[in-house]
Formats: sequence, structure tokens, C-alpha cells
Amino acid sequence: MAEANVAAPFEVFRFDPAHESAPRYQRYHLDLPPHTPLLTALLQIRAEQDPTLTMRYSCRSAICGSCAMVVNSKSRLACQTPIGPELERHGRIVVEPMRNMPVLRDLVVEMTPFWSRYKKVEPHLITDPTQPMPEGRENPMTPAQVERFKETPRCIACAACYSACPAVEADAQFPGPMALAKLYRFVVDPRDTAHQERLLRIQTDGLWLCLRCHLCTEACPKDVEPSLRIRDLKEMAVRAQGATDNGSRHAIAFKDNIRERGILNEMKLVRQTYSPGQLLAQVPQGLKIVRKKPEVLKSPHRIEGHDEVEKLYEILDDATEDPP
Amino acid sequence: MKVAYYPGCVAQESGKELDMATRWVARRVGIELVDFPNFSCCGSGFVDEANSVLNVALNARNLAIAERSNLDLLTVCSTCTGMLKLANVRLAEPAVRSRVDGALGQIGVTYRGTTKVKHLLEVLTDEIGTAALAKLVRRPLTGLKVGAFYGCHLLRPSKEIRGESAEEPHGFEDLIAALGATPVLYRGRVMCCGFPILFVKEPTANRIAATQIEDAHAHGADAMATPCPLCHISLDSYQNKAEKVVGHDLHMPVFHLPQLVGLALGATAEELGLPRHLVATDSALQKIGSVAVPA
Repeated sequence: MAEANVAAPFEVFRFDPAHESAPRYQRYHLDLPPHTPLLTALLQIRAEQDPTLTMRYSCRSAICGSCAMVVNSKSRLACQTPIGPELERHGRIVVEPMRNMPVLRDLVVEMTPFWSRYKKVEPHLITDPTQPMPEGRENPMTPAQVERFKETPRCIACAACYSACPAVEADAQFPGPMALAKLYRFVVDPRDTAHQERLLRIQTDGLWLCLRCHLCTEACPKDVEPSLRIRDLKEMAVRAQGATDNGSRHAIAFKDNIRERGILNEMKLVRQTYSPGQLLAQVPQGLKIVRKKPEVLKSPHRIEGHDEVEKLYEILDDATEDPP
Repeated sequence: MKVAYYPGCVAQESGKELDMATRWVARRVGIELVDFPNFSCCGSGFVDEANSVLNVALNARNLAIAERSNLDLLTVCSTCTGMLKLANVRLAEPAVRSRVDGALGQIGVTYRGTTKVKHLLEVLTDEIGTAALAKLVRRPLTGLKVGAFYGCHLLRPSKEIRGESAEEPHGFEDLIAALGATPVLYRGRVMCCGFPILFVKEPTANRIAATQIEDAHAHGADAMATPCPLCHISLDSYQNKAEKVVGHDLHMPVFHLPQLVGLALGATAEELGLPRHLVATDSALQKIGSVAVPA
């Protein structure tokens, strides 16, 4: 039996920067089965109601990565988003262009910022020219080595992660989730010979600006899980390069801080992370906080069973073996 | 109900008001908090980045402490919740399991993997229930518009957290409504507060905090409330810095979740530690006809 149609109110972002001074939201109504993909609905609007509605799309099968947009505040592929659940939750479907990139027209954004941040991580195999590949054969990998890529080769560069990322929004230095997931892919590639240089460079080139908010992982239509790959990258960078910047220094300091008492010594953490100059700059804010929360000046207690925590550090942190 | 109370580090230190409010609310709604002086820090996401297996082991030890007493573990911090739940998930990986079990074995600890981690928010909405909570309200927060701010690790990554909907949660808003206040829906409620990079690049962290505060304000919020003391640091303790970055005042009072509940249930500002905030909560208290907080 055919699925009953539902009334679907749409509010679609419209903007032509060449001819209009400000964006507006245009309403459309359709009656459609709830399983209808949003892209199909938008194409029907364009065919039947408004031929000027502009969007990017191609394959309609979540392969080409062209139709990413913001649907009720979430960055999504339109072809992979059925309208039914959106209507159930929101009663309407608000469609906007991806965030963190300038709008060219309606739902189409200028993706150059996305690509230029991506190119900065050198997303290609770097090999040692003095070590040419064995004559007459390719450079093979074992299944276990391929396994380490996780899902990163599935990325379709749709930029949904980039659109969802608050670090991209706030800081031009952050490479973005997709670029870092791609970097991960080359850092675990046994054929690449620049692992250490890549890790060293990315530590000061924005790796530690990742907020581990995991919004990228929720947005990714291909389960690349960029935030989890960034987490892996950070751990690899810390192990290979140690503390080279505030981010890695803070992560290492935090780990060492807890070892002393089992719980965090907040004041000491500040001293461990910042350089003397940075510490000095923190004094006015520190005084404001101390005035309201004077006990931050006191060292915390040592937990009961601290010896157990110390032993876990000895077994799992002092040993130099690689993580699984 | 009886739970193992895991306050986390911040609620025992700079965010002591969170612990004060939690204990007050727990008494009032009938949650018996059992303290364990041997809980360690959850690693706050930073230990995970520096040594992920150590992070799982530290939290497995915490989970084992609750397991030995047959208690669920109650958290009051989104990040602690995320890290403790992450440990349960990662222990399902055989390679991690064997290393962690090996290390725990050497300190005489066994963790069978049965401890459930529950944030106070989940306990209030799912176990006490918003209807029962509404009956305990003595000072309805009528007229106060509150923007819930969830904190990332309470929601994401959804594969590890397996809690409420990662992108469209509503438990916190339901709770705010049960207290008589009006929940404000805004994009920022599920976004990041900026805290994880406060020590890495402070102006960027401040800018992210300002973005969410401005978003809450633009949607009519008189105040924000958060179940995470790290978000509270970013949104309250560093709000003055966020103001500097965006170049104008924000004046947004930010409550810890149990402070908001406590207010509705009749606690005084002092009992909830409101004078410890860096941003005065007076404007919000005036909306509900409560006495101003002394300086």
C-alpha cells in the first residue's frame, strides 16, 4: 500500500548577493510521502513552483557529495535526508546553505575556503625519492594496514563536517575536520614517508584547535568520524613529538597533574600549561576568579587509593610500547 | 534511590557551588548520594588525547568502585559523563580490554562492565520524572526564559554516549518547563562552549562562548543553564573575556543545572552558591521575584 502523503511546509533560504542586499526565507508547500528525500522535494519545488531556486546536486545517491546543506540547523546531504522525521520533530523544514562558507546564491556556497584548508595538510602520498618502489610491482599493503585507515577513504568531500564545525567558524587557522581526517589517513599509511614531519607540523598548525565537540562526526554522512580520527592524531602526535605547543603541553600537563593526587590541581595546571609570559597575562583574570572562588588557591586533597592510580600510570604510561 | 556520587574535580574545587546545589537538590528529591573518597579524575578528555588506554583504565577503576557497591554512578558534569561512558564502550574492544584488565589486575581491581553512568539530568527527567519534580516546586520560575546548554559530551559522539538524541535533545527543556520557566530553543544549545581550547588559544575559545551566549540572547533567553561545570567556566568565569573579544557586554547569568532546580524547589541563593558566579545572577532572580544575591 502506498504511504499516505503528509503536508510539508518548507522555508528555504533565498539570496542573490549580486542583486539583493539581504537574504530572505521563502515558503513553499508540498504534499509528499514522508520517506521523500529532501533533494527530491527541492527539485519538485524547482520544477513546479520556482525555477529560480538554486542548489548543487548530482547523483542523488549520497555518492557525489554535492547536495550538502543545512536542514533544521543540521548539516546534511539533502538526498539522504527524508522529510518525514524532520516534519515530526520541527513541524516544518528550514533549508539553508552550508555554514562557514560565503553564499554564492540560495543554497550554493563558495567552497574555496574548504579546499584551501584541505590542501594545506598535503593530502597526498609523500614518498622518499631515494627509496623508489620495487621495480615492476606496486607498493602493497596488508589487510591489517588498510584496516588502520578506519573509514577515512570513504570521505566524499561534501563539507558537511566543515559546515558543522564551531572551530572552523571561530578560527581561520583550524584546518577543519575533513582535512584532519584525511591527514590521519596519510599518517597511518605505511607507504607514506613523512609521518613524523606531518605530525610535528600539524601540532602547531591547528590540530589542537579541535574542540572534540564531535559535531563533525554526527554530521558526516559516510561515518568517517572525523573527530575520532583527530583524537587518534592528537595521541600519535603527543607520543611522537611530545609537547611542542600549548595544546600538546596542556594534554600532557593534565595527565601528569592527575597523577600527583588522583584529582586535578586546577591552579597547578594553569602553571604547567602556560609559559611565564602567558602566565603573567592571566593574572588579572585569575584574581577575578580567586575573589569569588578563593579555594582554588589551595591544593586539593590526595584521593584514597592514590597508590592504585600511580600504579596504573607506571604500567600504562611509563612503559613505552605503542598503543593498540 | 541510592547512587554512587561522582562529583568530578571541578565541583570539588572552583565549581564548588555545583556540589552544594547537587547535594541540596538530591536531599529534596530523595536521591541518596553515596560518597567515595577514592574516585579519581575522569581525565576530562585531555588524558584521552595524551594516552587513551590510561584514560580507559582510570575510568574503569572508577566504574569498578561503583560496581563493588552495586550502585549506578551519578555524574554532574557532561565531560565526566562522556569519559566514563567512553570507558564502558572502549572496554568492548578486545585489545583495550586485555591491557586494561591486565593493569587493573595488578592493583587488585576487577571491573565486570556493569556500572551504568547517569547524569543528574537523566536521573531527574527519566527516573524522578518531570511530573513528580513539578509537584515539588515551591517557587515556580514563571517568567524566566532559560536557554539550556547541554555540553558536548552529554550528547556526542552518539555512538559512544547512547543517550538522548545527539542533535535534537529535549530532556533539559522538559526539565526547565517543569520548573515553571520557559525553555528557549536556539542552535547554540547543542554547540560547543569553547572550553577545550581555553588553554590552547583563549581568544578563539572566548569567541565560541560568545557565539552561543549571543545566540541564546537573540532567542530571548534571560539566563542560560548547563549540566557541565566546564561549560560553566567558559560561559560564566570567562564571560568578561568573551565580551572583550566581541566588543560589547553580554550580561548573561549562567546557572548550573541543579542551581536552577534548587531555586524552583525553594533553596536560597547562598545555599546554591550563586554569589560565587562571576556574572551576577540578580537579573534572573528578579524575574522570578526572588531576593537579590548579596555581593
